[in-house]
Amino acid sequence: MRSMMLCIVACFLLLSAAAGEARENCTDCHKIAVSGVHAGVPCLSCHLSESDTLRDPASASGRAAGCVGCHKGYQALFGRPMATRVRETGFVARSFGRMDGEFFGKNCNSCHLQGCTDCHGGKGHEIAKPRDRDCFTCHKGYFVGTDYYGMAPREDSLRYQRGDTAYGEPFLKMTPDLHAEAGLTCADCHSMASLVAGRSSSKGCRDCHKPKLSVVEHRIAAHLEKMECWACHSAWAAQEYGTFYLRFSGSPSKDLYRVRRDLSAEEYVKSAYLRKQDAPPLGLNGRGKVSPIRPQFIGYFTDIRQDRAIWEENRLLAAEWKAFFPHTVRRGTVMCEGCHDNPRRFLFEPAADRIYQLQADGMTLPSFWDQSGQKVVNGSFLPAARYRELSKKTTAYRRAYLERWQKLIDHVEASSPR
Amino acid sequence: MMKTQKTAMGGMTPADTHKKASLFLLLLALLALPGCTRAGKASQCVLCHPKIEKVSKSHADCVSCHGGDASIKNKYASHLAMYGPRNPAAPEHWEKTCGSCHLYQLDRVRSNLMYTTTGMIKNIQLTWEGPEKLYSSRGGDDYDAAGKARLLKPVAGLNHISGELYRKFCSQCHVATESGEVYGASHASGCAACHFPYNDRATYQGGDAAVRGKGPYAASHAMEKLPGTEVCARCHNRSGRIALSYQGLYDGNNSMVPTRNGQPGPVMTSGGRNLTHIASDVHFAAGMECIDCHTSRDTMGDGYGYENMYLQTEVSCEDCHGGARPPRYQRIAGESDEAVRESRGYAMQMRQGMKMILTAKGRKYSNVFYRDGAVWVLGKRSGRLFKSRVITGTPEHSVAGHGRMECYSCHSRTVVQCYGCHTTYDRSKPGMDYIAKMATPGRFSEKEDYRMLYPFPLALNQRGKISTVTPGCQTFVTVIEPDLSVSKDEYVARFKGKKQLRFAPFYSHNTGKKAIGCGECHGNPAFLGFGQHVVSGGEIEGTLICEQSADKPLDGFLTLQGGKVRAYSAITRENSRPLNGAEVRRALSVNLCLVCHEKAKDPIYRKELNYRALNDALHRRLLSAP
Repeated sequence: MRSMMLCIVACFLLLSAAAGEARENCTDCHKIAVSGVHAGVPCLSCHLSESDTLRDPASASGRAAGCVGCHKGYQALFGRPMATRVRETGFVARSFGRMDGEFFGKNCNSCHLQGCTDCHGGKGHEIAKPRDRDCFTCHKGYFVGTDYYGMAPREDSLRYQRGDTAYGEPFLKMTPDLHAEAGLTCADCHSMASLVAGRSSSKGCRDCHKPKLSVVEHRIAAHLEKMECWACHSAWAAQEYGTFYLRFSGSPSKDLYRVRRDLSAEEYVKSAYLRKQDAPPLGLNGRGKVSPIRPQFIGYFTDIRQDRAIWEENRLLAAEWKAFFPHTVRRGTVMCEGCHDNPRRFLFEPAADRIYQLQADGMTLPSFWDQSGQKVVNGSFLPAARYRELSKKTTAYRRAYLERWQKLIDHVEASSPR
Repeated sequence: MMKTQKTAMGGMTPADTHKKASLFLLLLALLALPGCTRAGKASQCVLCHPKIEKVSKSHADCVSCHGGDASIKNKYASHLAMYGPRNPAAPEHWEKTCGSCHLYQLDRVRSNLMYTTTGMIKNIQLTWEGPEKLYSSRGGDDYDAAGKARLLKPVAGLNHISGELYRKFCSQCHVATESGEVYGASHASGCAACHFPYNDRATYQGGDAAVRGKGPYAASHAMEKLPGTEVCARCHNRSGRIALSYQGLYDGNNSMVPTRNGQPGPVMTSGGRNLTHIASDVHFAAGMECIDCHTSRDTMGDGYGYENMYLQTEVSCEDCHGGARPPRYQRIAGESDEAVRESRGYAMQMRQGMKMILTAKGRKYSNVFYRDGAVWVLGKRSGRLFKSRVITGTPEHSVAGHGRMECYSCHSRTVVQCYGCHTTYDRSKPGMDYIAKMATPGRFSEKEDYRMLYPFPLALNQRGKISTVTPGCQTFVTVIEPDLSVSKDEYVARFKGKKQLRFAPFYSHNTGKKAIGCGECHGNPAFLGFGQHVVSGGEIEGTLICEQSADKPLDGFLTLQGGKVRAYSAITRENSRPLNGAEVRRALSVNLCLVCHEKAKDPIYRKELNYRALNDALHRRLLSAP
């Protein structure tokens, strides 16, 4: 009833403003101009009342009371993961939160949906449709977003922190997503409606693309039935192996860690054992389809007081992987052996092939590319039986393999200028 | 020791008399010399330094090495004429000290690359657009590889940014100059660099209270006749980092984690770098040290002045393991043989008649021999015997075409690769010139893009063989002038007449017993130099891109676009080059066979592959659709 009344008042005000017969008093003092599609909208249509003015009509704490009068139902967004951050808080609760009850507030709170204008125009009165850069306030670095434009996070050490910076992140130049090259923006696949409805996107690959059967890989039924398109077509993905949070008190040795410091609270140093940005390992996602997976996170914690480690040093608090969509789509893929008979890709690395000797350095896990002791939180690792199955060299496999390689080889010239 | 001898004299049997007497005479003679002998009343040296370690049994006299006057009591007066006084083995004195006895060794070391660093300087000149003259750490004359006399200019006079880089960045690691202030990487100059090793903090920790705790000094006054791996690692821990890779250490991403005892870790080394553990070289795991493979001629030179370390090095994998031909050996013909002399300090001595294995240059190892149908390597320090497996004639090692490959192209577990070396030369700030020993205008600093271990690219090396290569270097130079203007911004130098980045043939010293699998290498174009990539129809598209281009991979040197294989980086060294289109095609074509003929011992690999066989009746039947 109240909102209906308000709506009537708003409409009345709007009409009267347009007629020029009466106008609001607000702008006598507040020299503010609203730009964009809301330019002609009277102040009180968002701020609601002169006597009981809504200070921040778009705030999440007020469930965007000033916006949802017209944009009905959109307050549901505040119940969705982007606002509740239920996955992130859940992760912290079962990992770093065990060592520090306030960990999340200290280290993870910079990405927190505070209201509609976080994305819609930013400065409050310049209300606008979100541009990609609005998404990248949060969706950058290790959190899928800027990957789309070919940016991978660099190593945390200051030796590697160099080059161009975008959205506060120095980045390693990678090949951008094909869709970015074609001019598509985030919103072209992620509509407001889909976010409000709790779906991560409004479009799937196959809404626009039909797999061409002229492509050998597409003619293999198992590929199309059992795999996400992006299992093959993600050209690369940022991967962080071994996420370390070190908590210090009274320890001058903290200054010896020459790593970037903007990723954690003052009392912490955040570092990572190894970063990669090649084709990510594969596992099964929540729909049971083969999908890229990556560590998110394999978390270690050391509490350092008076320059001494107390309790257990480099304590492994989580070894969690996530099935995800890297947003680095290219037409090309790896060749057959990028997956088939490639044990590392599915975390079946044989002990004899281990390069990084984690246990020699007290890091508990035998290898990052070994499933033991690790899990996929929103899916699972590929079962060993399925891996054996896909590594069998059947006649069908060999035939398709020959066709694929022949196609590449036939394309390579017989002589080169050099 | 002397005391026990004297007591023993009292109770000797007549049968021993002659032998003991002659020993006694020898001792008397030693006592007569001014020196370190404890009983020598005349020696002021031992009165002040009573518990200092003996250098060795044969180096008992202080003054013959150190100079000075052992008869004067006053410290300053007695020290006045000393060589050094800290290090008589320094190049300023070595002619009068070590070299007065070890002339053969001194002559070799003087033209040794570790001392002249002519190779290092030359390569910097080549890749930083420097002048073409040959320089060395201190200048001087020696004989080149052809035996022709040559004169090297001192690097102090190399008035070019390449000289600056050497003097301010690279010169810390060489035998001509002491480096006393780098944690984990300090060393003396001259002979002492290897034979009187420093510890991590370059502090003397021996028995002499007058010197204990002071530095920079060797950790002990006892000579290291046979330097261990940790001695080599004091220098060989940067650039190619071979001493790290060999021991299974990696200074990768400088992340300082995991911590150790609450400090950055797990192992800290020079330059504020942390080391993590990776799989070590198979030889290290077996217990072998650097000098078990590397001869004294590798490390101390053979008397000729080379222009690159790969020319001075005389050892190769094939010496012990065989290649197309089995290892070669030569008998020790006489007592004057170098192998006999050199092995005197080993736990086991080489004797006349032994069949000594030959290096690639055809000279005898002093610790590798042929006995009972096998090649044995003696651990020079450990005295352990290692049996070397000879691979000549085994099917895996007689794949047609693989004769062109270096052993380590397949047997490297990892090859450390540093991509993107962004060097800033700031002329507005002072930098330490380690040759002039003073700060001069111009300071270098360095940042890096990305470090990688596996996979690794292959290309042709100076021997025309397929070898592992690593960036060498991908230098992007920025020069800031004294007025803070930027005269060069991320500049790529001209090399072989063209602005291009460079890769260098390189053996990482991280050898594995197990080779890279056939399909692993042939099936992954990253090994051919395409970098990490995706394949789209007939194109290979890099995914890690150089900042200065739209589509060239940073971690490779080849692209395949429109069917054309293009190389856009040089491989340094003469006759070296990336694989060409025909070679790329040939390497990839092998996959057509590998998918069924998976093993290297398959007889089809004994001769050149015939791809037309795929169309014969047998193959058509095997591969026909159901």
